[in-house]
Order: sequence, then C-alpha cells, then structure tokens
Amino acid sequence: MKLSGDLIEVSVIGGYLGAGKTTLVNHILREASERVAVMVNDFGEINIDESLIDSSDENTISLTNGCICCSLVDGFATALESVVSFRPRPTRLVIEASGVADPGTIAAHGHGPGFALDAVIVVADAVRLIEQIADPLVGQTVAGQIRAADVIVLNKIDLCDTLTSVNAELSELNPKALLIYTSEAKADLDLLFGREILRTVSSAGHVGTFESRTHESTQPILRENLEALIKNLPSDIQRVKGIIRLAEAPRIPMVFQLVGRSWDLRALADREKSPEGNRLVVIGPKGSIPIAWDNFLR
Amino acid sequence: MSDAKVTIFTGKKIITMNPAVPVAQAIAVQGDRILGVGTVGDLAQWGDYELDEQFKDHILMPGFVEAHSHVMAGAVWEFPYVGFYDRPDPLGHTWLGCQTIAAVVDRLAECERELKDPDQTLVAWGLDPIFLEGERLVAKHLDQISVTRPIFVFHASGHLATVNSAMMRRSGIDRYTPTPGVAKDFDGEPNGELQEPAAMSLAQDGFSAIGVAMMSSNAKWNYAREARNCGVTTIADLGTTRLTMEGQLEAWREATDDANYPARVVVAVGHFDSNSIVSLAVRLRDEEETPKLRFGIVKLVLDGSIQGFTARISWPHYVNPPPGHPGNGLWLIPPEQLADIVSGYHEAGLTVHCHCNGDEATQVFIDAVELALQRHPRWDHRHTVQHSQMTTAAQYKKMAALGINANIFSNHIFHWGDQHAAVTIGEERAARMDACATAEREGVVFSVHSDAPITPMSQLHTAWSAVNRLTASGRVLGPEERISVAKALEACTLGAAHQLKLDHDIGSLEAGKLADFAVLEEDPFEVSPAELKNIAVWGTVVGGTPHVASSK
Repeated sequence: MKLSGDLIEVSVIGGYLGAGKTTLVNHILREASERVAVMVNDFGEINIDESLIDSSDENTISLTNGCICCSLVDGFATALESVVSFRPRPTRLVIEASGVADPGTIAAHGHGPGFALDAVIVVADAVRLIEQIADPLVGQTVAGQIRAADVIVLNKIDLCDTLTSVNAELSELNPKALLIYTSEAKADLDLLFGREILRTVSSAGHVGTFESRTHESTQPILRENLEALIKNLPSDIQRVKGIIRLAEAPRIPMVFQLVGRSWDLRALADREKSPEGNRLVVIGPKGSIPIAWDNFLR
Repeated sequence: MSDAKVTIFTGKKIITMNPAVPVAQAIAVQGDRILGVGTVGDLAQWGDYELDEQFKDHILMPGFVEAHSHVMAGAVWEFPYVGFYDRPDPLGHTWLGCQTIAAVVDRLAECERELKDPDQTLVAWGLDPIFLEGERLVAKHLDQISVTRPIFVFHASGHLATVNSAMMRRSGIDRYTPTPGVAKDFDGEPNGELQEPAAMSLAQDGFSAIGVAMMSSNAKWNYAREARNCGVTTIADLGTTRLTMEGQLEAWREATDDANYPARVVVAVGHFDSNSIVSLAVRLRDEEETPKLRFGIVKLVLDGSIQGFTARISWPHYVNPPPGHPGNGLWLIPPEQLADIVSGYHEAGLTVHCHCNGDEATQVFIDAVELALQRHPRWDHRHTVQHSQMTTAAQYKKMAALGINANIFSNHIFHWGDQHAAVTIGEERAARMDACATAEREGVVFSVHSDAPITPMSQLHTAWSAVNRLTASGRVLGPEERISVAKALEACTLGAAHQLKLDHDIGSLEAGKLADFAVLEEDPFEVSPAELKNIAVWGTVVGGTPHVASSK
C-alpha cells in the first residue's frame, strides 16, 4: 500500500557477506511493481538484464520499469537527499547495508522528513548461519544483524539439510521476526514490503500465498482499541501496517508497523502531507484473515 | 651543480637524525634542497653563498612528519571551540578551555554577537560533558544565548550534538519526532541532545558544517598553519579528503602550489571514496604529484575506537563495557574480505594504511597482508598498521617479518590512558598498549601520531607521550614501554617518512634531501624528557623557505 502522498517507504536490507542481499536486490529490481530506488554498497554486483536497463552511468542504473539503482558511495545523507529529488518520485527506498553493518543503525535514518521506515530485512544464509554465529571473528556481527531484523529472509533453504537446527537458532536469537523462506532470495515482495495484495499468484519461488484486507476510517482511534486489535490478531498474521490517528493526538499521523510478533507506532516526520483518517492493511496467508479482523477499531 | 643561489643557515645546533653525521653547525640550501651539512667552512667548498644567521640561537631538526592526521584539523577552526582543555588555533590564538556550563554559554554568547546574519546557524565544537560538573548541558542552556538563532554544538566524541530550541524548531524536532537518538525528557519533550548521525542529521546545516568546511581552501591552509606552529613540515591527510569530489584535487593543488603554503601534504585516498579506488590512487601517484603534494597511499578503516568500545579486541575483550554492549567491537570491513581488498591495492603497487585499534583487527590485517604477499610477492611495500594501539609482541615480530610498519597512537596514553586501565582493557593490557618499546625491540619501523583533530597536532607532544607515558592523572602507565628521546624523535621524522615512502626526500638533514626543518627554541636532547612537549617552536623551513609560527 502507499502510506501517503509523497512519502517514501524505507526498507533496509542487512545480512552477512554471501547471504544473498545482492541477489534479493536484483530480484526486487526485476519484480518491482512500484517505483523503487535501491541504494547498494557493491554497485559492481548489480546484475540486471540488458533489456531492462534504460540508461546507466558510473553510479546509477535506470531501469525501464521505473526503478533506479544507485551506489551508496556518497553516504546515507547524500543518498536520501538524492532519492527525494528523483522525478518521478520513488515510492520506496531500499538500502542495502554492508555485510558487517548493523542494519538497525542504518534504519534510524529511515524516519527523516519525507520518509517512513517500513522494516529491517535481514538475509541469512541457511547453509552457513550456524557456522557463522559460532565464528569468533564474525559471530557477534551476524547474531547482531539477526537480532535487528523485523523480517528474516532465510535464503538457500534448497541447499540446507539442517533446517531444524537453523530454525531453532533463529527463534532463539529473534523469536519475534517474520520469517520468510527462500531459495535464490526470491521473496514475495508483497509480504516483504507489506503491500496490499491485489491479485494472488502462486509461483514456484514462493512458499504459500498471501492475501490482504484493508481498514479505512475517519475517527481517531483509542490506544486501547489498537492494543486490543493487536492482541487478538490470529497468530498467522505477521504483517499489518498503515497510518492512523490516535485519539490522544488526532493531529499527528502515526505510522503503525506490525512485523512478525513485534509492533511499533511512531509519529510521521512529515505531518503536512499526510491524508486524514486511518488506513491499515493486514496481510496473511490465504484464509487466515477473519472478515472482521478490524472489529476493535470500529 | 647549478648556478642557483646558495644559502647557508647557521644554528646553535643542527640535529640531523643522520647517524653518520648526527650534529652540525650549518646547513647549505640550494633551491628547495640541502646542498650539505657541516660547518660553514666545510660548506664553503660549494662556492659562493649567502650566510643566513636568523637561526643562530635556535635548534634545527628535520621537520617533523605527522603521518596520521586529518584536514578536519584545519576545518574545525572555522567554528568556536568549547572544549575543556586550552587549545591553540592555527592563527596563534589560544582558546581557553570552558570548564563549566556557564563558561560554554559565555563563549557562545560572545560568538553569537559577532554573527551578522540573524539566520546563520552558530556551530561550535569540542564539548566534552564528562568533564563538566553538575547537570548536563541541554537546549535550555543554549536558549540563554539566543531563542531565534539556531545553535549546534558538536561534542568532542563526534557521536553527539546539543542544539537549542531555535534549531529544533527549524529542523521540525518535537516530542513526536520519530528518529531514534533524539533524546527526550521524562515528560517526552526533546532536550536538545541528538545522539548518533541519524538524529544529528535532522539538524542538517549544523551537522554538515564541518564536512562542508573541510572542502574549503581555508581549511587546507589552516591545516598547514597548525603543522607549522608545531614544527611539522609534512602532514598526511589520511583518508579524509574525498578526492573524487569535483574540485578537491584542484583545491589541494592550488593551496600547495602557493610558495607561502607552509607544509607538504600526503593525501591518502579513502577505501570507501569510490568504486574504483585502485585506478584513482595509481593515477594520482603517477600523474598528479608535485613537490608539496604527494599520493600513493590508500587508507582502510577496519574497526572502531577503544574508548568507544567499538575496537575489535581479542579475548578477554573489554573489562568494564557499558550495559548492553555486545562484548566486542565493530568491523567496518568484513574480515574475510580484507585479503582481497588489500591484494588489489598491493598488486597495483600502492601502500595500504589500515586503521586497527584493537589487536584482533591488527591480526586480521597482518593475515591479509601475508596472503597478499603469497599471491603477489613484493618487497618493501611498507603497508602500515595505523593506531596499532594493542598490537602484541608476537604481532610486531610477525609485522617485522612481513615488512609491515606501525604508526602508534602514543597520545592515547595521556588523553585516555586512565580510562583504558580502569574501564576499557584493564591494567595489564593498558600497560602494554601503544607499545613503542616492543615495536623497537622487534624491529618494526614505526612512527607516533596525534590523529589531529582527535588530539591536538604536535609531534613534540606525541614524542613526549611515548617517552614518558604519563596519563592525564599523572601516573606512568606501563613504564617498560617507554622509549628514549632519540628513538621518539626518530619515529617522528625518519620513521614517519619511511611509511609515507618519502624517506629518500625527508626525515633527516643530509645532502640531497629536501630542506625541511623544524626550528626549535630548545634542544630536545638537553631538556629533561618530561619537558619535551613544552619546547617552544619558532616555526619551520619548508623547501628552504622559513615559515614563522603564528604565535611569534
């Protein structure tokens, strides 16, 4: 879904070297159904079909589907500035963190004026994760990245024969994150980005199919009603997002994010351009969303 | 020999740092080079000369070489200083330390009155709240200075800033601001403290001010003036200048081409500067060098800082880290990627200077260099461990075997030594940190540095720190790692010149080398070692041209 007018949603992609971050970025650029700007560390690794490239220079590739990919060489502040100036404006910014970065630190930049942080996505290598976490040099780095995730993309599951122990390790490090299983990092982008699902397609790369429902209302919401909604959501539902107004501060648009088992509510930095009222979308496996999922908000 | 004019400078004593001819009374200069050292009588054999006796009461030494500092040392002086300790600026004015919140406010109020444009942000730097007693400085204190002009005060750590209410208003910071790091009171209102870059960057024009100033010509001049004031004739700007940025190479060229520019500068390219550093660094080295502007070095940063608990330290890690600390520090480059990165520069004939504060980082760098050497044998590469604060004896031995140099951050002993013993790495490892004596014993060519502006530039101070190992509280930290005055002065001249691959040109006073001198008021071999840092500096001579210090 689009949160509001000119707002750019920010997804940060972290994960250790070799997990598949760049593969995921390439997948996003290829499959995007919205205008995505991607900021990458390793520009040389971006691998797009020639036929999809509209133009390119040393630090930027423009795609025929409206997406744009840029090098992060000038740092976050400059990258964020340049994204705002792209015309037409992207609706989503995807920042690929370096293999040793704490994606949570980078995500802090995603709340600035004009932006709303969507989620921290961490790609993990199902084959090497346990070995990496035990490594004296990088174990702490890898574990820290997993802990910072809202969404864990567990990649290379087709090559992994120890999935049970990997799952156990992940649920110990971060029991709250939304877990998506992939091979070749082919994650469902609607789920990854928490978008309204307009058509449901089952394809080989996706595990299960998802559907979405949307809530729209005009009256500010009582905090206790929001908390009741969260408490009573079926456990299969791991993605809810939107912009709401709370009764205690109805003039302040609040960004609501529920990913996995944790949720966050923060004011929107840009208060002027946000539409009135409340709009929440819930995404879950097909058949898991009750018709009246938003009873508590009504 | 050409016909150019010969000048013979005399000195009370000339310390050459050339072991073959360690002391002289006179030095002959032709053009920008040394024609010879000796007595006036010896030097007369070169023919007609002009006798210059302006230094007859001074001590001349090879100009000091500061192989790890940053042009930011010149940029910070575009803004008022509000740090705790007294600090001289490049123009010779000593800013007295602000030792109370009231002193900070008074200093800023004075500077505010001098600003003409009412919308211009007042930016200041150097605030160090741990030294200021009583409550913490917050927006309400800065509001006493102005409620209309935005004010932005950088803390000394670089990780925090404090702003006033006008700055918060202009930046849209209020109780609802969602960015983490915007500190809020118990009642939810922001108190003016912005923690870490994401929060600081909300106050954009304040946060970017020093970075913008760094690109200016004035910063480049003030950087060299700061060097001149402490007897430094060659400074390495280690990975700060974005040479890929339009106009930066030209700005350095324009400054250093000026005959009055009082220093030689080695500009090291930062690894993160662009996607094609190898070709950039090679091109700069092969095509863009001038007598006062040198290249050929690439700077890598592998870990964080010890006092920030972000350096990568081997087991048993940190002794008393803050709550919530993950146990060890941060990697800025994936360790298993380092060998490939180093190999790329190594094979191109470049010299890699790698920031390693913790010993685990040092080990990863040593292993990377060893692998690069196995892949591509190369003699005399002079790759250098920068900071080298916790490098062990075994590591120094290995570095000697591989030809790796060290540049040791000796000033840490004075500035943070007490904290290292008590809080970061504990007594035993603090006693052997910044281990100059071990480096010397194991045969590693080394230098010492200030990392200016992190600590004030002065090779007499870094040498003093290596010789005395006195902390701010006055204790001797690790007496076994103290080195002699002679060795410390060698580190600050030939040692640093060697790792910059300039020791054929600078670092000692002998025929054929560049005529770069430090002009001192006292003899560092005659004063007590404890007084080394207090020796007054007249100024420098760079390429035969005298440059008097600003305070003179």
